[in-house]
Amino acid sequence: TRPDVIPLPPGTHLLYAQSGKIDHIPVEGSSLKKNKAKTLLHVPDKVVIGIAYDCVDKMVYWTDIAGHTISRASIQGGEPTTIIEIDLKSPEGIAVDHLGRNIFWTDSGLDRIEVAKMDGDQRRVLFTDDLVNPRAIVVDPVNGNLYWTDWNRDAPKIETSYMDGTNRRILVKDDLGLPNGLTYDPYSALLCWADAGTQRLECMNPNRTGRRRVIDSIRYPFGITSYGRNLYYTDWRRESIIAVDRNIGRESDEHQPSKRSRLYGITTAYSRCPPGQNHCAVN
Amino acid sequence: DPTVGSSEDCSPCPCPSGSSCAVVPKTRDVVCTNCPTGTTGKRCELCDDGYYGDPFGNEGPVRPCKQCHCSDNIDPNAVGNCNRLTGECLKCIYNTDGFYCDKCKDGFYGNALNPIPSEKCNACNCSPYGSVDQQRNCNQVTGLCECLTHVMGRDCSQCEPGYYNILSGQGCQRCDCNPIGSVN
Repeated sequence: TRPDVIPLPPGTHLLYAQSGKIDHIPVEGSSLKKNKAKTLLHVPDKVVIGIAYDCVDKMVYWTDIAGHTISRASIQGGEPTTIIEIDLKSPEGIAVDHLGRNIFWTDSGLDRIEVAKMDGDQRRVLFTDDLVNPRAIVVDPVNGNLYWTDWNRDAPKIETSYMDGTNRRILVKDDLGLPNGLTYDPYSALLCWADAGTQRLECMNPNRTGRRRVIDSIRYPFGITSYGRNLYYTDWRRESIIAVDRNIGRESDEHQPSKRSRLYGITTAYSRCPPGQNHCAVN
Repeated sequence: DPTVGSSEDCSPCPCPSGSSCAVVPKTRDVVCTNCPTGTTGKRCELCDDGYYGDPFGNEGPVRPCKQCHCSDNIDPNAVGNCNRLTGECLKCIYNTDGFYCDKCKDGFYGNALNPIPSEKCNACNCSPYGSVDQQRNCNQVTGLCECLTHVMGRDCSQCEPGYYNILSGQGCQRCDCNPIGSVN
């Protein structure tokens, strides 16, 4: 699939977390509609780290390290609902499998990766071994793959497995520093990451060997998401969202929210789900 | 609500240092949107991630938000390093532990405040044969393990002179060598 063959859905937003709130900003083509950025949700007593979007029910899911919970809310408004509130210590990354209707998350306190249905039911631990600082997690439900980062300073890595937890293996371990952010773009089949140690954004096709440096000498990336030709990352030092053109490797836009504090997770809220099905969803 | 048209439609934001605010449409809650550095919450009454304190004194005396104080034994890339209210350190590294990551964690000994990470806290590694109850803990500062009878060494891995059979796990036994036929 090539991004220029399948048109990207218009009316798409980026959702991003800034401690006690989740904001959204519309993206049109490859530019940020900065004057239309708005707060979607105030959760002033929480510290929201990871966010993910369900394009089917148009809900945002997030992890909160202050209350040790995972919650969700409709992006059309509506009260947040906590879906997981026990046995969480420091839930960070979260991913939504919109086809199989599952959520996956990392917990850097319990050092594990778990899965549950979207309402929090049928919770199951996928991995407990060989995790030191698990952080970002993304899914590619069409192909049934899970990807996550671990910023363990002694051995940082990007790993993958099938969505049921089988076939776990290390995808990247060389020339990594602090891989804080990870994104999978279903349109280009590219897995891209944001590394606060090497201060780079890099991409690879997970089915092939080789990787490509998109941009280097960036400040302190945390979250990353993809939409069209751009990657969008949050930066702890610049306290803003930065757009980088993946093809030419250049910064193309920046949005700095009026509240000045660290930005955490960022995700793309597609107005329509990306094309593709998987066998479990059909069956 | 400026649509009413009276002179009291707009009230000043109930936020410190002139922070802006917004009304949440559904709940009509007023939320400060631009709290001073290190603070957050509806009225900037909480400390942000990476800070601790009680800026309004809601739980006792007023304590402005300060950066987590964890004896340089936390990682700046981690989130949730300390409790936002009490400052208790939650993610100690280098095998440290304690409220301020100022002690070695169980099973380790040394000086958590040593500036060189590799010299902070070392594993006790008590000998499973020579230490009481096969313990893995030792004195947090000296590293001395608690030895069975006639066992010696920091890690309880040796018999005292004149004693043998540490592998018994019951302490060391006297050699009982014949004083006439032995060298010592």
